[in-house]
Amino acid sequence: MAFDPLEQTGIAVEDQFRNWSELNVTPFDKDTVDPYTRTRVILMNGIEVESILFSHQFARQTDNLELKRALAMSRRVEAHQQKVVNGLNPGDQTPLETTLGYEQVAVDLTAWLARHEPDPMLKQALDFALLEDFDHLYRYANLYDLLYGGHADDITQHLTEITPGRPTILEHRHPHDEVRKHFETHAVDPLSRMHVMTIVAGEQQTMNFYMNHGTDWVEPIARGTYAEIALIEEQHVTHYESLLDPLDSWIANWVFHEYNEVYLYWSMMQHESDRRIKAIWELHLNMELGQLQVACDFMRRYEGRDAAELLPPTLPDTPVTFEPNKDYVRQVLAEQIDLRTDGVDYVDVDSLPSDHRYFQYQALVNEGGAPSEEIIAQKLAKDSREYRDETEGEHPIADLRPQHAR
Amino acid sequence: MPILTPTAATGARSMPQEMTYVDPARTMLPEESDSFLAGTDLNGSFVADLLSDVLAHERAGVMLYRSLAERSHNPVLKQKYRHFGDETESHVTIVEGLIRDLGGDPNYVSPAARATEKADMGLLESTFLMTGSVDLMTQELVMLDAVLLAEAKDHANWSCLSKLADQLPTGDVRAAFEGAIGQVEPQEDEHLGWAQDMRCKMISLQARSSAAQTLGAKAEEMVARIKGMFD
Repeated sequence: MAFDPLEQTGIAVEDQFRNWSELNVTPFDKDTVDPYTRTRVILMNGIEVESILFSHQFARQTDNLELKRALAMSRRVEAHQQKVVNGLNPGDQTPLETTLGYEQVAVDLTAWLARHEPDPMLKQALDFALLEDFDHLYRYANLYDLLYGGHADDITQHLTEITPGRPTILEHRHPHDEVRKHFETHAVDPLSRMHVMTIVAGEQQTMNFYMNHGTDWVEPIARGTYAEIALIEEQHVTHYESLLDPLDSWIANWVFHEYNEVYLYWSMMQHESDRRIKAIWELHLNMELGQLQVACDFMRRYEGRDAAELLPPTLPDTPVTFEPNKDYVRQVLAEQIDLRTDGVDYVDVDSLPSDHRYFQYQALVNEGGAPSEEIIAQKLAKDSREYRDETEGEHPIADLRPQHAR
Repeated sequence: MPILTPTAATGARSMPQEMTYVDPARTMLPEESDSFLAGTDLNGSFVADLLSDVLAHERAGVMLYRSLAERSHNPVLKQKYRHFGDETESHVTIVEGLIRDLGGDPNYVSPAARATEKADMGLLESTFLMTGSVDLMTQELVMLDAVLLAEAKDHANWSCLSKLADQLPTGDVRAAFEGAIGQVEPQEDEHLGWAQDMRCKMISLQARSSAAQTLGAKAEEMVARIKGMFD
């Protein structure tokens, strides 16, 4: 049934504050949780963090008291939502286990968005970074095994394959090659806008998580790996955020943020298997509907336009869904493993001249070796085999199969 | 009700640029743009972009007037903003019709239109993003400043279109331009003239008021003063 968020009043923002007991939620059980419940929690935490950061940035552009207070109000309840969502992560889930969840989000969210993205350029942007996050999962899985003897499939439950993607060591590019062209805000499909906003928030959260958790370890290999992959996530944020059209006003962006949060909480509700957590998604959906009303009211009074002019008449029929994307990832791997970027374009690595800045940057940062490669070397030295979870057969790229299988 | 914000749902199209990507399905193709006004001496693609730019400015004008009518404390100004907003909305319809009559697409958002939209949004934002650091009287003046600046460009657009039309040979294209100009230009003259006069009047009123009246006034006193400003 078509769902028009603008026709729903939701919960009034002034009624959205919760007390400490309500904010201090009971975490899920890391051993029994559905892996895709964990990924939904990780994604929606990132979405809330983005909404808070966006609101802070907006608030710094104005001294309009009414506007600043409205932003402060919405931001506070977004912060309440963030505490509840992030609080679902259990304390006995280590940062590295959470990291494996983050990379499962990165793989299955990015692949799902790419599969459903109507715009070919945006699909390419998603496919490109997909292979890199896919490789991160493999590197962290080996780190997990190396440090703790852990099996990453305990986290991913075989829903996402764990095997090399575009090798992390090859992902380090000059910053100029991370900037993409942006969509045109008038002509863009509204679904595409939401896809980009969602992936920007997801990648930003991953970047922030690695930035802050990279020092949780004593082992240099772990600290180095987090530093290395955090910098790729920084590249990904640059890559994805440059897809957004800077023409949109602050208030329009506020409305778009709230609308996207409505879409995502509605999406998360559709497939949530945990009834308690599903109730949280439903509550937050109703909260976001109230926040959307406020943003739309500001647009009407301050920009003189009805938000209905900018927004699609109903939410997309298809909810953003966490599900296996194994065949899709394998197909992209087979077709795009050798892609690199040259300015705003995607090119085959063989087409880059030998003096291209890509190679210069590679030589600079990889001069002393890369932790992401060292993990595998140490794992091989320790156990004579790397950790993989290839449920669909051998790797589609011969060079990326285990050495003994090549 | 004309379209104020073209979107994919309303059939918006645009043209790729150095940093702008447009889905091929929604791209204004160069050959289509070049064929605009074919058979005339005019640079069709340039005029297509120009008319899109003019349309973007009229659309932004409607938003500006709606916003100011909502927020001004002065009934005379409010009434005028509503009235000019209605007229500007009709200008949107007229420009859309002109573009259609000339064989173009009013849903096309040209690169020039995008630049104008950004500038116009900045102008509109100037009337509300910094209200915490100016008094209520100055807020009213800032709104009038925005009208003056917007109307100055608006007036210049139509004066320029008028001169352009004068140079066209007699025929359908000239008639289409003249039809639109004939409806809009007199109103643009009035809008700009009013904005210049009213701004000057407001400045004069304040320049002749005592400092004590302005500096010591409470918000409600200021609102009362603003309300009665042009009685």
